[in-house]
Formats: sequence, C-alpha cells, structure tokens
Amino acid sequence: MLEGVPILSVIILLPLIGSLITFSLGKREEWAKWVALGFSLVALVLSLVVAFAFMASPDTTATGYHNGYQFYEEYSWIETLGVSFTVGVDGISLPMFVLTTLLCTLSIVFSWDTKRRPKEYFGLILVLEVGVLGVFVALDYFMFYVFWEIVLIPMYFMIGVWGGPNKNYAAIKFFIYTHVASLAMLIAIMAMYFEAGVGSFSMAAIAAESVNFSRGVQVGIFAALFFGFGVKLPMVPFHTWLPDAHVEAPTAGSVLLAGLLLKMGGYGLIRVAIPSLPSGAEDMVPVMAVIAVASILYGAMLCLAQKDLKKMVAYSSISHMGFVLLGFATLTQLGVVAGVFQMFAHGLVTAVLFMMCGVVQHKCGTRMIPSLGGLAKKMPIVATLMTVGFLASLGLPGLVSFAAEFMVFAAMFDKWALWLFVPILSVAITAAYYLWALQRSMFGPLTDKIDTSHLKDVNWYEGLPVAILIALIALFGVFPALIFSRIGPAVEIILRLFGGG
Amino acid sequence: MAVWNQLEALIPQLVLIAFALLMPALDYLFKDKRLLAFVALVPLIGVACAVVAWLFGGYWEPPTADTSGLLEINLFTGLFMLVFLSVGIVVVLSSPEFIRKDRNQGEYYSLILLAITGMTVVAEATDLIALFVGLEIAGISSFALSGFRKGESRSAEAATKYFIVGGFSSAFTLFAISLFYGVSGTTDIYAMGPLLEGMFDSFEGSDKVVLLATVLLLAGLGFKIAAVPFHMWAPDVYEGAPTPVSGLLAAASKKMGFAALFKIFLVGILVVKADWEVAVALIAIVTMTVGNLIAVSQTNIKRMLAYSSIAQAGYILIALPVGTQYAVAGAMFHILTHAFMKSGAFMVVAGMASCAIGEKLDDFKGLAKRSPFLAISMTLFLFSLAGIPPLAGFASKFVLFSSAVYGSIDPGPSWLLWLAVAGVLNSALSLYYYARVIKYMYMEKGASEERVKVPPMTTVAILFALAMTVLLGIYFDAVVDLCMQASELFSGLPPGL
Repeated sequence: MLEGVPILSVIILLPLIGSLITFSLGKREEWAKWVALGFSLVALVLSLVVAFAFMASPDTTATGYHNGYQFYEEYSWIETLGVSFTVGVDGISLPMFVLTTLLCTLSIVFSWDTKRRPKEYFGLILVLEVGVLGVFVALDYFMFYVFWEIVLIPMYFMIGVWGGPNKNYAAIKFFIYTHVASLAMLIAIMAMYFEAGVGSFSMAAIAAESVNFSRGVQVGIFAALFFGFGVKLPMVPFHTWLPDAHVEAPTAGSVLLAGLLLKMGGYGLIRVAIPSLPSGAEDMVPVMAVIAVASILYGAMLCLAQKDLKKMVAYSSISHMGFVLLGFATLTQLGVVAGVFQMFAHGLVTAVLFMMCGVVQHKCGTRMIPSLGGLAKKMPIVATLMTVGFLASLGLPGLVSFAAEFMVFAAMFDKWALWLFVPILSVAITAAYYLWALQRSMFGPLTDKIDTSHLKDVNWYEGLPVAILIALIALFGVFPALIFSRIGPAVEIILRLFGGG
Repeated sequence: MAVWNQLEALIPQLVLIAFALLMPALDYLFKDKRLLAFVALVPLIGVACAVVAWLFGGYWEPPTADTSGLLEINLFTGLFMLVFLSVGIVVVLSSPEFIRKDRNQGEYYSLILLAITGMTVVAEATDLIALFVGLEIAGISSFALSGFRKGESRSAEAATKYFIVGGFSSAFTLFAISLFYGVSGTTDIYAMGPLLEGMFDSFEGSDKVVLLATVLLLAGLGFKIAAVPFHMWAPDVYEGAPTPVSGLLAAASKKMGFAALFKIFLVGILVVKADWEVAVALIAIVTMTVGNLIAVSQTNIKRMLAYSSIAQAGYILIALPVGTQYAVAGAMFHILTHAFMKSGAFMVVAGMASCAIGEKLDDFKGLAKRSPFLAISMTLFLFSLAGIPPLAGFASKFVLFSSAVYGSIDPGPSWLLWLAVAGVLNSALSLYYYARVIKYMYMEKGASEERVKVPPMTTVAILFALAMTVLLGIYFDAVVDLCMQASELFSGLPPGL
C-alpha cells in the first residue's frame, strides 16, 4: 500500500506547509486553529499508518527496508560535503515519531481558545512539529542538527510571547542554554565526521568507522555528545533552564517541551552517542549512572519543596527522565528498551500533568498549592483526571509508567544488584509529593483564598485531549508489549556492538 | 590589439568607472533623482549577471591570463566580485529613499561605483602595487561617502576618523610592501614566496625584515577588516555614516581587506606561516570575543551591528592559521553569506529610518506590530548572523568551523581545535544580543503602534538579501563547490577535506 510513497517526507512537510498557510492568513485569524488542526491531524493519521504498517520483525527484502530502518528515503542534498536528506524509522524512533504527531495535535486542541496572536501561536506549534519530527527520523548528522536547532526557535517565541510574568528571562535562558549544548554536539559531530573520513554525514557510514576509533577519542567525543544531549534531557546539574522555561511557558508550550523536546536528548543518546561510540559509552557508564541516580533523587526531592503545581510537575520531569538515562547506562537489552519505553511513557503522562496544571490555572487563576484546596467539590472531572495523571506518574501498576520504571529497576538490579536501593528511594518520595499535592489542592475543605463561586468543570477542548491521553496510558500500561515488540529488535542491533549485551 | 589584450581583465572596472563618471552629469539632467539609482544599478547588475553566467552557468570564460601581470580574473576573483556587486546592488536599491532630501546625489552614486571598482581591483590583483591601488580607490571613495551628509556633525566626525585611521592603515600597508620588495626584489605576489625563501639563506637578517613587514601588514590590513586591536574606528564610523553606506562598509569594504589578506598571507608570505600563524590565531579569538562582548552592551543598533561585524571578522580570520584549502573555501563562503545577512540587516535599519523610526535598540520595541515585514526580515538576518539553521549563516559557519576541526586532525597542529571551540562559544554569546533585538520586536510594546510603510525599493533590496540568506542556507551545494574550486588556486595549501 505504501510502496514508493515517500511517506516520512510527506509527514514532515505537512506541518511545514500548514505553518506557512497559518502565518499568511492575514486578517482571518479565527481560521488559524482549523488550519493547524487540519494539517496536524493529517500528519497524525499518516504517522499511525506508518505505525501499523511498521513490521515488528522486518522483512529485509521489502521496499523501503534499509539496514534495520523502514520507510527509508535518501536524497542527495549538499554533495560537496556529503550531506544527504536521509530518513527512516526503526523501533526506537517509531514511538517517538507517533508521540510527536499525537502531542502536537492534542496541544492544538487544548489551545482552542487562544485569543492572543492565534496565527503565530498555531503556526509556531506546527514549525516545532516539523523540527521534532525531523530529529526523530533523520539519519544524516547535518540534517539531524538542522532539525534539532529549528526546534529552539518556535519554543523561544512561545515562551517569550505567550509566557508568564518572567517570560523574557526564561525564554532567553532556555534559548542560550540549550544552544550552547547543541554547539557542543555540533563540534562532536564534526570531530566524528573528520575522524571517520568517509566524506559523508550519513549516521550509518560514520558509525561503521567510529566504532573503531581509539578509546581516548571515543571518550572525548562521547563526553561532548553526552553534554549536548544531557542538557536537553535534562540531567542534574544542567537542569536549571527547565523549571524557568516550564513555569513561564504557556500550557501547550510546556506539554511540547516536556513531552517532546526532552525526549530529543534521550533519543540522541541512544541513536547517536551509544551506537557510534561503544567504547566511549562503556567508559562513561559510571558517570551516566551516577548522574542518572542523582537526577532521579534530587529531582524528586525538589518536587517536595514546590508550592507551584506546575513547577512541581516540571521538576518531576527531571526525576523521570533520570530513569531514561539510568536505563541506557546499564547498556543491557532490558535497560535500554526500558529507557526508550520510559521516554514514550513520560511523554504521555507529563502531557496530562501539564494540561491539568493549565486547566487549574485557567479556572482558578493561580497554581499555587496553598491557595487551592477542595477543588474536587466544584470540579469533579478535573479532580478525577488529575488524580489519574498523578497516579500514572507515580507509577501505579496497570498504568504505563509502572511498566517502564519497573523494567529500569529490574535492569539495574541485574547489573548492579543492591545499589538499586539508592534510586528506589525515589518511589517513596514520588508518591509522597504527588499525593501530598493532590490532598492539598483537590481534596479537603474548599479554599477561601480564591473566588470559587463561578468555578465550572473542564471544557471539552481541555478535557478531550486529556481523556485521549489517559486512555492511551491505560492501554499501554496493560499491553506494554505492543511497543516492546517494536523497540526490542532495534535495541538488539545497537547492543550487538557491546559483545552480547 | 596588444593594448586591448592588456585591458581585458579590466573590463568590469571600465564599465563601472564609465558609469561613475556619468552620474554627476546625469544629476543635472534628471529632475527625479530616484532615476539616478536606476542608472547606477545598470553596471552593477550587468556585471553581476555576467559573473553569475560565468560562475554558475558556464556560458563564457573570462580571459585566463593578463599579459600585464598585474591583474587576473579567476574563480577567487569571481566570487569576491559577486560579494561586492551584490552588496552594491542592495545598497543602491535602498539609497534613493534614504538620501531623498540630500544634495549631490549624483556624486553619491558615483562614489559607490568607484568604491566597488576599487574592491574589484583588489580581488583581481596579482601584484602588491595593483592591490594597493585598489585599496586606495576603495578607501578614498569610502571616506567621502561616510562624510556624505557634511552638514551632520556625526557624519563629518565619522569621515574624519575614518580618513585618519585609513591614512595610517595605508601607510603601514605601503611600508610593508616596500620591505617585501626590498627583500625579495619583486612585487608579484605569486613570485614572492620562493624569492623570500632564497634570501633567508643568502642574506642574514632578511627574515627579521620580513617579520617586521608581516607585522606592519597585519596592522595595515587589520584596520581594513577591523580586527582587534585595530577596530576602534568601526563602530563610530558605522554609526555616523549614512546607513546604506554603513552597510557597504560592513558587508563589502571589509571583505576587500580579506581578499587582500588571503592573497598576501596564503600565497605571498606563506613560506613564513610559522611566524604568523599563532599571532593571527590569537587575533582571531580576541577579535571575535571582544566584538561579541562589547556588542552586548550597545544601545544603538548600528553600533551593535558594527561590533557584530568585528566578531564576524574574527570568525573569518580562523581560515588563515588553519591554512587549508577547505578553510579558505569556508571563509569565502562565510564572506559571501555575511555580505547578504549583514547588508540586509543594515538595510532594515535604513528602511526604518525612511519611516522616521530611530536607530536605538528601544526603537525596535513593538516593530512586529508596526511592520511585520521588517520584523521578520530582521529576525531572519539576526538568526542567520547567530548561525541558527537552516539559514545561510549556519551553513557557512559550519564549513568554516569544521575546517578548523579537520585542520586539528590533519595536518595539525591540534590547538587549531580551540579556534572552532572559540567560534562556537562566541556564536552562542552573540545569540544573546541578537535575540534581545528579536525580543524587543516581538515581545515588547513600543511607544507607537502606528503601521509604517517601507519604501518599495528598500523592500526589494531587503527581499533580495533575504532570499539569498534563506536559499544559501537550505541549498548551498553549488556555492560551496565553487568556493572549493576557487580555493584550489591556493595551491601551496593542503586540501583539508
């Protein structure tokens, strides 16, 4: 059915065309959301087509199959430098790819009542979608970097124009902090390109040479890449841009930032750094593991201290993305699969959390936990959705995060045995801050600090995206194998480099 | 026909000079002075089309060798001509509105054409004397252009300052040339290297003289490209000169200095590279860092762009110590893209002036509401200057910085890597002040919300620069390929890719 159709390129192009149309709507501002929704919806449907047509155990003779990648396309771009436009998906990129089209579409729905500069707002969401999609399917370093950087610009504007009171500081901090990290990655890419000396920026061609680099070179390049991706992840101690950006960003901005942009960091590690530089990765395992555990625990403890609901959710991302890094640090089949799965799970769960924070802000005019209380009486559906979101995030069995985090812990136990007791403390802390926050904001006596007389329950455009996400959280919580079966073979290919894995 | 043969390489200059001489006369004929701009565009566009047809179409070949031995048209020349002519086109297009109330408009265009003539002579020169003549033609025309609004004290101050500094620069350069001539006995750039080397063995102390000459030359040309510590004049002159002229100085005049630097340092005195490479590398790092650091604190957009130009000169200087053909290609590519993005940015400022908006950074507040076109153009020019993909500035910085990375691997020395590191760190630093302008335009409220109308010719100029900035970022294969071919003319250098 899909033979000969350059479907990945089409999916990347759709939001781009959509954004150009949205920007040039002129006075017809109220059309912006419809155009944006239309284009993102088509992209979502096409990405689902890709997901269903994706073969868990690929037929290596099928058209579009190339070295483990499916729907492979390659066009020459800048021949002089060996740059090509190469895209393809494997089991690692597929969940991220579908997550992107899904979260972008849901963010557009969630922002349905945006009144301030709607053309620019919806146009920028689409530009961001182009960038993130490009990152997840790029198989050429130059292209990867270009898409990686494109993502920064719409996010900078989203925080800076539609953000909260301290938006200017947060926008510029986000922009420069992550740009510096990207530049470290760029230097590392250049070093790999020239060390390999194959005259091509193709990831596969460079990886074929780079696995043979001397140990010292590998560690050096890996460290630069690790910094570049780690800031995005974010890992302690390079996480300080994240709470600022999240607190100031509009809800859709936060959803995309936490749901997608953070995943780019994890994706970069497993797509670029680990398979290209296996000896470097092996030598850096202690560093990765320590930083991962530090992020998990420190992020969770910071959450306990937060008064702002959204800031708490932001810090919880640091903790949960630490699990991704911990999974990768084990360099075992189970751990890496779990890390990738945790990225997908966190994308779904954190989107729910940020949307619910947005709803609370929207309804009550504040997100400060001490000012809230007893909202369940006025807004039962909001309280229900929020409870489910929090429970999902703290790892309730049967929901998606449990499967991911359990597997990370299992992989860690397998490798480092009793050291597991250190990160596992976070389970208790996580449960504590979520339940405590829930108790103070949703339950108990109704607050008298804000005017609650006009509070209405959730709107359709805010409730629907959350409901869809919760349905998916439950689905993949019960049937994680739907995704495992696809991630597994791709991870196996990577881990062959580590002698058995 | 012997005379004609000698003049073949001068045809572009002859066309430009003919029109330059015509302009003051036409000033008397035309009631509507805007027509002058259209006449001035004729030679610029004509020669530019011829160059494009040659470089990208291969429709004709220029005469390969000039019998006089002073000038030569080759790919290197062609690319630099393209830079100078494109900037000339952008500047002339946005001038008529800017100077509509001024007198002596004929002379204005005449001087622009002469300045560009001088630059093209530098690009063609194969001899130090011809090169110096070109520098002077361009220099003297630019001094007069910066003082074009002689009634304005800022403009007069700029011209005076520029003139005095320019005088020093010429003196240093000429002295250096005389020393090179004294040691080697030739002013031919291509013949000089081996002759110098021969003298080192037979004549004790000659290497000291060459070292002195190199330092003097670095100072003389350092003024031209506004490298730290010879940069003090640039912000004052760019601020005081009429804005289109500032664009010409930043985007074209400076590039002439680089054409001269590459010819002399990478051909003429390449034999003594070991003597100057560390010094030039340090100057490159200091130039980019100082330029960016001071740009952060500027409140006037023209001064900010001036300091950003200084920083960009630092990036381009990387190519000299790296000293591979690939590095030269990267530098030429960056010179080309910088010409478009920087002249574009200056023309946005000129366009704002035509709409009676000032030059302070505060005047950018709320520009997105007043003129979405100016705001989005400025945003793209600034992002491109900061090196954000997929814009031209990223593409050229990518080639330039990667040449330093490769240079550190092969042929070495490994400290060249620090040039790339300094380059990317500075790019990140520069993002801070570029993003601030963008923040003002989109995220803050201005004093006025009145819509402004940009004059049509300025719009065309900005659109042209914008189109090149975007296109060269998305698809630059053909241009990089040409730059690589042109860099092969530096046959003494290792290929580096």
